Amino acid sequence: MTNQTPEKDLNQVETNPTEQTDPPSLQDLQEEIQAEDNKKRRLLLLLLLLLLLLLACVCGLFYRYLQKPAPLPEMVPLPVEINYPPHYLFSIYGIDQPVGVALSPGQERLYVAESGGERAVKIFDRDGALIGSFLPPRTTPGQRSPVYLDTNQAGRVFVTDRLQHAIFIYDADGIYLDSILGPDLSLSEYVAKHVGTIEPDVTYAYNLFEQDVYFKKGEEQELNFPAPDHESWSPLGIFIDRTGRMLLTDVAKEKNSIRQLPADVTMAVNWQEFNPPTDTFGTFGQGNGQFLFPNAAVPDSQGRVYVTDGNNGRISVLDSQEGFLFHFGQGSGDGALSLPRGATIDEQDRLYVVDAVGQDIKTYDVSGEDPAFLFAFGEWGLDDGQFNYPNDIVTDSTGRLYIADRENNRIQVWSY
Amino acid sequence: MRKLILITMIAMVLAFALVGVASANGGPHGGYTATTDACAGCHRAHTASGAKLLVAADTTALCFTCHGSNATGSVLNVTDGVLEATAGSNAGTALNGGGFGFYNGSATTSSHDTSGAATDAWGNGGGRGVASALAGGASLTCASCHDPHGSSNYRILKTTVNNTTIAVAQVDEGAQTYDSEQWGTGQSNICAACHNDYHITAAGSGSDVAGLAATGGTAHRIGMPWNGDAGTAAYIGMGTANPETSGFGGYTLPLAETGTNDTVECQTCHLPHGTSSAMTGFAASNGSVAGDSVLLRLNNRGVCEVCHQK
Ligand code: HEC
Ligand code: HEC
Ligand code: HEC
Ligand code: HEC
Ligand code: HEC
Ligand code: HEC
Repeated sequence: MTNQTPEKDLNQVETNPTEQTDPPSLQDLQEEIQAEDNKKRRLLLLLLLLLLLLLACVCGLFYRYLQKPAPLPEMVPLPVEINYPPHYLFSIYGIDQPVGVALSPGQERLYVAESGGERAVKIFDRDGALIGSFLPPRTTPGQRSPVYLDTNQAGRVFVTDRLQHAIFIYDADGIYLDSILGPDLSLSEYVAKHVGTIEPDVTYAYNLFEQDVYFKKGEEQELNFPAPDHESWSPLGIFIDRTGRMLLTDVAKEKNSIRQLPADVTMAVNWQEFNPPTDTFGTFGQGNGQFLFPNAAVPDSQGRVYVTDGNNGRISVLDSQEGFLFHFGQGSGDGALSLPRGATIDEQDRLYVVDAVGQDIKTYDVSGEDPAFLFAFGEWGLDDGQFNYPNDIVTDSTGRLYIADRENNRIQVWSY
Repeated sequence: MRKLILITMIAMVLAFALVGVASANGGPHGGYTATTDACAGCHRAHTASGAKLLVAADTTALCFTCHGSNATGSVLNVTDGVLEATAGSNAGTALNGGGFGFYNGSATTSSHDTSGAATDAWGNGGGRGVASALAGGASLTCASCHDPHGSSNYRILKTTVNNTTIAVAQVDEGAQTYDSEQWGTGQSNICAACHNDYHITAAGSGSDVAGLAATGGTAHRIGMPWNGDAGTAAYIGMGTANPETSGFGGYTLPLAETGTNDTVECQTCHLPHGTSSAMTGFAASNGSVAGDSVLLRLNNRGVCEVCHQK
């Protein structure tokens, strides 16, 4: 609005002199007009200057934003209705085949799980600067495989490990706290059974490939005791909602299902007593309510749960009681999926699904009764904004999207 | 025109698929039906704008999307050579094929290079110890050995490899296990398709020392019973313990099931994917590929010891 008016003025003034030159009038009259004109001109110049200044300001801000794409949350609140795709901002490098991404509760830290190299979890700030990295204790790269991860409101980081068949729990800085070894077994619970209560100065670890649990108290000699029986589960996808409820996908051999852990379990101070109620849904297969390598389970604001049913190439939708509702995304046409993997839902109930083989992110509006395909973004390639077997995505409240671009060894940051 | 070719190809693949192709259990490899949706897992789902099918710009990267270290689409983690089973003691057991990045928890010391960079195979027509180009200038990928669409061979191995038709049957029918070998006498055919000069079946060939020196590379006979043809066992001082069932010093080697005296194949000594065996001293410098473990199952020349027990 404001920048329109002066432009109009400018036009008027510019045309004025030509109109007035028509009758050859007296000199003083001309002078008078000249003076008037000059006054107008000065005003105009001032306005123009102001405009230029404003433009410079906007440009400067935009430039700064491009240089250092910090969020502009206060300035650019996310419009309620967006149905255009986001755009590419920048990439974070120095990562070996990333497969999982998560944000800290305050959104100021990004956690990335690598499937290549050291197979570490790396911590970055919002600008993509490396803060640190962490690993499950007592494992070598061929014995660990962090895949998906999430944080709870207390900032703790829960990382699923495909090779260890466990969920490792760390504090926000990556200090190892405990492992969930099965649906009703934590490492600290198992250790406590052997040594009584666990004092603050003890460390313990367990590696599925070694048959021992390691236990060390202060400066004392390290103790070993036999490993617990392997549990028949294989946690893969993990999502923790605001209340602390945890949704897991379990890809145990030929027993795929979705599991739920209540908030008091994930929000516990420690896990020395770990007996959550069994809450599983689904079996292995292609029918309704069955899954083939489900990779993510995420809830929307209505309480429905969307499961990326990987090898079935579809999204299965469950109601809040984990009853099967319907599935979508199979077949052909807009919004059809190839190999859905990581997924996330933003505050507008838009579901983002990473299609690893489709090499893009497919977006659906799931606020209504039926999911509606909105748009897809990205394509196969090595350039900025192109994907090479992407695997996971996370969004924040400022409209940013972080995407694990596996074979390009980077995290891509997109924004609205 | 392009579209037409594609459609014909799809039709052909489908037709093949429908004629009783063995399928991997639970996997997307074969066993397709006419109304199948299983192509989408590896090919881009059709879009309204046309059939933009193959995304396998990098076949191996596609396979690792399910079979890689994160094993997000299969229980077969071929990067680490681990069967991602969870029940009881076989959690984390080693896969039959070995691993491309790690095996038994250690980094591999040799593996078939499936990155698409390798084009020359040892003993591919030029003699043992000589590497020659694969047919058609092809490079080695997962799809050089496996047919992702399923095949009638064991472990969906291709029926035509390096322009050679091969048949590799699965022998121990029944439950498909990936941590105990189930191949038969045809198993050497897959290796011989690219390394034919190592495919030696005549008795006594291995002692042709002059021939060995001239051409390089081991010329151990294969295809014979593990304890030799009747009557030769005493001559080579062979142990009497079956290398597959009893083994030696805690090590065993797989043999092809034949019913009576199981036979020696390439995979008795070699792993097809990769190994973490350590080569020190003599073994590190001997052979055409200096300094690596040439896909051998055991450290140094441990494989020899299991049968010959010197
Ligand atoms: C497990 C992954 C996978 C699945 C599932 C799959 N394909 Fe393929 N397909 C591939 C790969 C990889 C290639 C490239 C082969 C190569 O590099 O030699 C290919 C190649 C092709 C080709 C080109 C000709 C050829 O065989 O090389 C056609 C046509 C084709 N696929 C059709 C299909 C159809 C139809 C389906 C579903 C019935 C299907 N594919 C399912 C992985 C797959
Ligand atoms: C969409 C995921 C997916 C992709 C991509 C994929 N596979 Fe598989 N593959 C599977 C599954 C699932 C199985 C069955 C075993 C299991 O349950 O994990 C399997 C089984 C196999 C087997 C064992 C077959 C048998 O007879 O037992 C081989 C060999 C194999 N895959 C090779 C490949 C190769 C080579 C590629 C790349 C061209 C590939 N796969 C790509 C999912 C996949
Ligand atoms: C040189 C040929 C060759 C190449 C190249 C090859 N494979 Fe294999 N693969 C085999 C053979 C042979 C077996 C059967 C092993 C056995 O049962 O002893 C096998 C077995 C498998 C299995 C079943 C699990 C196991 O270890 O037995 C999978 C899965 C598989 N291969 C995937 C792959 C993938 C993925 C690639 C590419 C990264 C690949 N293969 C490259 C020959 C090959
Ligand atoms: C499709 C062709 C092909 C098939 C089939 C094949 N190979 Fe190879 N092999 C190659 C090529 C190419 C190389 C050289 C590049 C490399 O090292 O990967 C090679 C290398 C090797 C090496 C040397 C590895 C090293 O350390 O450099 C060994 C040993 C070997 N192959 C054994 C086998 C055995 C055993 C089999 C059967 C299970 C087999 N190959 C099947 C193509 C093949
Ligand atoms: C009795 C055990 C044994 C059997 C069986 C065996 N190999 Fe080997 N192979 C070896 C050893 C040991 C080496 C390394 C020493 C050498 O190269 O001479 C080797 C090396 C190789 C190499 C690497 C190149 C080279 O010359 O060093 C290739 C390729 C190879 N073998 C292929 C095969 C094929 C193909 C078969 C089956 C037809 C086979 N081998 C059967 C033990 C065996
Ligand atoms: C699976 C059992 C087995 C393994 C492993 C094995 N051998 Fe043999 N070896 C035999 C048999 C059987 C014969 C008799 C072959 C024949 O009839 O020609 C033999 C024969 C020989 C001979 C005599 C020459 C000949 O061909 O007649 C030599 C030398 C030999 N082996 C060396 C080795 C070496 C070196 C290794 C390790 C690389 C090895 N063997 C591994 C079973 C084995």
